[in-house]
Amino acid sequence: MSNPVHKKSDFIERSILSALAFLKDATLSEEYANRKGLLQSLDPRFKTISFFAFLVTAVSLKNVVLIGTLYGLCLLLAFLSSIPVRHFLVRTLLFIPLFSLCIVLPTLFSIVTPGEAVWSFNILGISAVITRPGFDGALLFVVRIATSVSLVVLLSLTTRHSELLKVLRVFGVPPIFVLTVSMSYRYLYLFATMVENIFTAVKSRVGVVSHQRHGQNIVAWNIANTWNRTTQMSEEVYMAMLSRGYTGEPRLLSAFQATPKDWVWLLGAVIICASLFYRGYTL
Amino acid sequence: MNDIIFDLKNVQFSYLGKFPALCGVDMTIRSGEKIAVIGANGTGKSTLLQLLDGLIFPDHGHVTAFGEKLLENSHVDEKTAHRFRKRVGLVFQNADIQLFCPSVREDIAFGPLQLGVAEEEVDRRIQEVAQVLDIQHLLERVPHQLSIGEKRRVAIASVLAIDPDVYLFDEPTAGLDPLTVRHIIDFIVHANRLGKTIITATHDLHIIGEIADTVYVFDRNKRIVRGGATQTVLNDRSLLEANNLIHIHQHHHNGKEHVHQHLPLEPHD
Repeated sequence: MSNPVHKKSDFIERSILSALAFLKDATLSEEYANRKGLLQSLDPRFKTISFFAFLVTAVSLKNVVLIGTLYGLCLLLAFLSSIPVRHFLVRTLLFIPLFSLCIVLPTLFSIVTPGEAVWSFNILGISAVITRPGFDGALLFVVRIATSVSLVVLLSLTTRHSELLKVLRVFGVPPIFVLTVSMSYRYLYLFATMVENIFTAVKSRVGVVSHQRHGQNIVAWNIANTWNRTTQMSEEVYMAMLSRGYTGEPRLLSAFQATPKDWVWLLGAVIICASLFYRGYTL
Repeated sequence: MNDIIFDLKNVQFSYLGKFPALCGVDMTIRSGEKIAVIGANGTGKSTLLQLLDGLIFPDHGHVTAFGEKLLENSHVDEKTAHRFRKRVGLVFQNADIQLFCPSVREDIAFGPLQLGVAEEEVDRRIQEVAQVLDIQHLLERVPHQLSIGEKRRVAIASVLAIDPDVYLFDEPTAGLDPLTVRHIIDFIVHANRLGKTIITATHDLHIIGEIADTVYVFDRNKRIVRGGATQTVLNDRSLLEANNLIHIHQHHHNGKEHVHQHLPLEPHD
């Protein structure tokens, strides 16, 4: 029989552990970036520029079919980059377009967007009318969001985060910013593991059942403990940086090597974007 | 004398001004020496290494490095700081502290790049140290994905890439499997043969015979209680026992239970 006290007291712990597990699996594993595939084989600079161009195109186009074409291209690239399309669709389509749909829901109706009525119905005696301009606008918004999010997810899935950070440097982002972000990312995993271990250690001593109030105390202690250890570790890491010659102005590796394949890819991306823009202009 | 690298006179240090970590340490270290600093946990070994690396500074007494006093403001000037950093490298006990970059390659490159080494030369050094420490296959990996032994080797590589004259090792073999311990001992011995000065803080007495010619023993009062040739110090059983470095224990061995002191150098039946 389930214990309601146990369930309540476990809620925060389970939430934290689930969040940590998601963080480690989804954000920090670079499984797809390490696979062999089309996008993985490209120079990150060229890949980022081309995806930026795709993104600008998706945001600028006003034709659903043309944006849909770009979305189709995105799925094709995912397939050619050894990313299971089903996994990719679940990751991109399930949540974000749903949320965007909630945002655009009011614009479907004549009260916000007047125009030709497509469908009318009554809710609790109140007449609601979906209009053509409202429907078209909402569809364009959702498709645009889905395409943009898919492009960004595809770029992040197929590129190691260290390379993405390097690309930021190429685009003129100050090295100190890049170093700080990369270090935060690096230690996120360490602290996620540390918090997990603390919970396991607590569980091994107090058992799985604890009173709700006691459970809250444990979580509070863990937060304080993690904060202390974070502060201590940041001081030690700074010492380790000083020990290797850091004086406040970081110098980082910037080696990238472009191949003819990268130039062909970039040219192809530019042609696709220009064609979509031209088609959008002539329609 | 010219070959003196570090000279410590009555060095005292405390954390936050109230937790003493070193209480009057005198020590002279010469070029090319192989030194071990031993003592139980909390006797000030790591603090000593951080002082020698110019990361913290004594409350009383002074540390002289390469003929110049190490003072808090002596590393404000970048040239002076870099001159010192090129000569002294510290391998921290916790490799996670030392490996703060997003990839192993960048971690190895960090030191030389800060010290103004050209990128082509940095690339060459990365390949060289990766080969020496057998970590070529780890270069593109993310540090948090490595095992403890791999992290330790990468941490050593990150200092080796600077090619310092003096290596400071803080518990280099703690928590490692026997094969990795062997690799690290071999590395230390080889570096010393090449003329490098080696200072190792450890309480793993089994490795001292190989990695040190001179041993300093720290006691609970955070002072050097004895210094001398490795063999002489290790033969002083009462000294080691008094400082929690050996213990009497009972175990099952060769088919029989027996009780003996656990000593670093002597084989037993």
